[in-house]
Amino acid sequence: MSLKSWLGGAVLALSASVPALAADGPLVSADWVQKNLDNPKVRIFEVSVDPGVYERGHIPGAVNIRWHTDLVDPVRRDIASEENFEKLLGAAGVDKDTTIVLYGDNNNWFAAWGAWIFDVYGQGDRVKLLDGGRKLWEAKGLPLDSSVPSHKETKVDVPAADTSLRARFPDVLKVAEGEDKATKLVDIRGPKEFSGEILAPEGIKELSVRAGHIPTAVNFPWGKAVNEDGTFKSKEDLQKAFAEIGIDGKQPVITYCRIGERSSHTWFALAKILGYDVKNYDGSWTEYGNAVGVPITNLAGTVWQGK
Amino acid sequence: MSLPLRILLPGLLFGGLAFLALRMDAEGGPSRQLAFALLTGAALGIVLQRARFCFLCNLRDLVEARDPRGVLSILAALAAGLVGYFVIFGMWLPVPAADRLPPTAHIGPVSAALAIGALAFGVGMAIAGSCISAHIYRLGEGNLASVFALGGAFIGFILGFLSWNNLFLADLATGPVIWLPHHLGYAGALAVSLTALAALALLALWYGRATPAQPVHQAGAGAALKSLLVTRWPPIVGGVLVGVIGTFAYLRFAPLGVTSQLGSWARKAASNAQVLPDTLYSLDTFRGCATAIGEALLSPNGYLISGLVLGSLAAALASGQFALAVPSLGQIARNVVGGILMGWGAMIALGCTIGVLLSGIQAGALAGWVFLVVCTTGAVITLFVRRRLSA
Repeated sequence: MSLKSWLGGAVLALSASVPALAADGPLVSADWVQKNLDNPKVRIFEVSVDPGVYERGHIPGAVNIRWHTDLVDPVRRDIASEENFEKLLGAAGVDKDTTIVLYGDNNNWFAAWGAWIFDVYGQGDRVKLLDGGRKLWEAKGLPLDSSVPSHKETKVDVPAADTSLRARFPDVLKVAEGEDKATKLVDIRGPKEFSGEILAPEGIKELSVRAGHIPTAVNFPWGKAVNEDGTFKSKEDLQKAFAEIGIDGKQPVITYCRIGERSSHTWFALAKILGYDVKNYDGSWTEYGNAVGVPITNLAGTVWQGK
Repeated sequence: MSLPLRILLPGLLFGGLAFLALRMDAEGGPSRQLAFALLTGAALGIVLQRARFCFLCNLRDLVEARDPRGVLSILAALAAGLVGYFVIFGMWLPVPAADRLPPTAHIGPVSAALAIGALAFGVGMAIAGSCISAHIYRLGEGNLASVFALGGAFIGFILGFLSWNNLFLADLATGPVIWLPHHLGYAGALAVSLTALAALALLALWYGRATPAQPVHQAGAGAALKSLLVTRWPPIVGGVLVGVIGTFAYLRFAPLGVTSQLGSWARKAASNAQVLPDTLYSLDTFRGCATAIGEALLSPNGYLISGLVLGSLAAALASGQFALAVPSLGQIARNVVGGILMGWGAMIALGCTIGVLLSGIQAGALAGWVFLVVCTTGAVITLFVRRRLSA
């Protein structure tokens, strides 16, 4: 570990030595989580996509959420149903006053997606993201456990899905066609996907038959929001970075990526850390880039040839 | 080789391995797992070499020399690993619910393609003189002929990829994934599997002749050292150790398998040469020895294999069993042909005697048992034909 990150950790440790449960804000540090491992009013969830990651060792007491089946509808392309989401929380023993902490592999992308779903179902500020996710927890060599916890089941009742947090295709099309001039689109994919030079990132199968981005969108690769260790940049830095591309919180924002998971990460930064008015477009480029008869900006001019 | 060298060279090898592993461990993150894979491979290499744990040789000992010890060694590995896996399953997946499988365990589909792959593998290993894992540890013993068997397997893998889509559409796509605990529960699946292994052990003992009693070792450090470093380890001990190593590997990174890295390289080479179809249907979604092309030169499986060769090399050097053997032309031809059959079979069956037979049966997969039966049948018949031809 470099001296810099060691110092960073030490500063974090000092600042987190306040009593347990004093977790203001949308993020909690690894240190805070460590102090609250035995806190019955804190429930930790791991949202990892790689199989076997949770089972081979997770933060002690953490409950597993399987993204592909628990957070999305396995049949139609949609978020998990209200009923299934209630079951998920109930089985994990979440109570009305439980603080919920999410973390996961792959830079917390899917955990951030989870946080977005939790927000859609009205869980509000009690939902936190472990800053730095699984990567930082492992890098610090903090303890992992492989036993599956069992919690006393609770009856959970969540409000109906809040559609104002979710952008749908027509919302995005209105922006693209200039009908909605107020909303800003933020495309958080890599610059080469944004420009249309490539159809999908390295190692990922092409899922759209058109290259490029949604007209009027600005590019902000998700990684610009995080430090080297995977933690989010400070609120001030984030504010500055987004202001540079014209996102200053004065206008509503829609974030998107390829399938909506990396954009959840940026959604989290904008909506939860900066408090801007942001919707996540989970249809993302795999929906828009396949839609018929919609305008597209394709700077590179790459033509899809089925290869 | 002189005695000082027999101590010095393995010592240097272990020192190098330890240095590498510690350095990777200190890097933290994913490298920790790679360090563990490297050391697991080394441990496996030592055990395979010291116990001569080779599927074909053990089978041949029983069939041709009526010596049942090697087969008992394999059965012990299966039994020990079964218990280990089920201990882990009970923790990771407390209830074997119908729609869930334990993560990453090698529980592949049961299909006619699996049986054909296993048959090709069995025939191939009887032609090439041993299976893929044994050829890998024999590399460490200086057996240059193994290079040709592994080269053949590389070609076989490419042929496998070329036939994959047709087999997938004809049969594999609908092959059911049968996990015994889904149908029998954990206790039932374990009881049935262990009973089947016991029955096979009785069969081997019935067919085999009584083996000469092991000489009683004399007490003393010298004798102990000799039985550790020079004499073949008791087969049951070797088998149980293979089962334990398999359990540790599954617990920490992935089920044991020896073809994943080889297959991945073959796939990359063939894909770069543009001989592969753009899409291999669903291949990367099946459980078994994954051959997805990785970004790094070595996957975790690559580290396991590297450790295996080095561990076997160290053990062979220490025992004085290291000998550079230059193969004859006939041997080269047999190894290439057998290797091709093994590579093709392992690709279609999603693993070999380690990845499907060992790691599959240990995980309670019916596919593992199918592989065991068909591959053994193929090998026994081929051994019989070879004996007839050379008689």
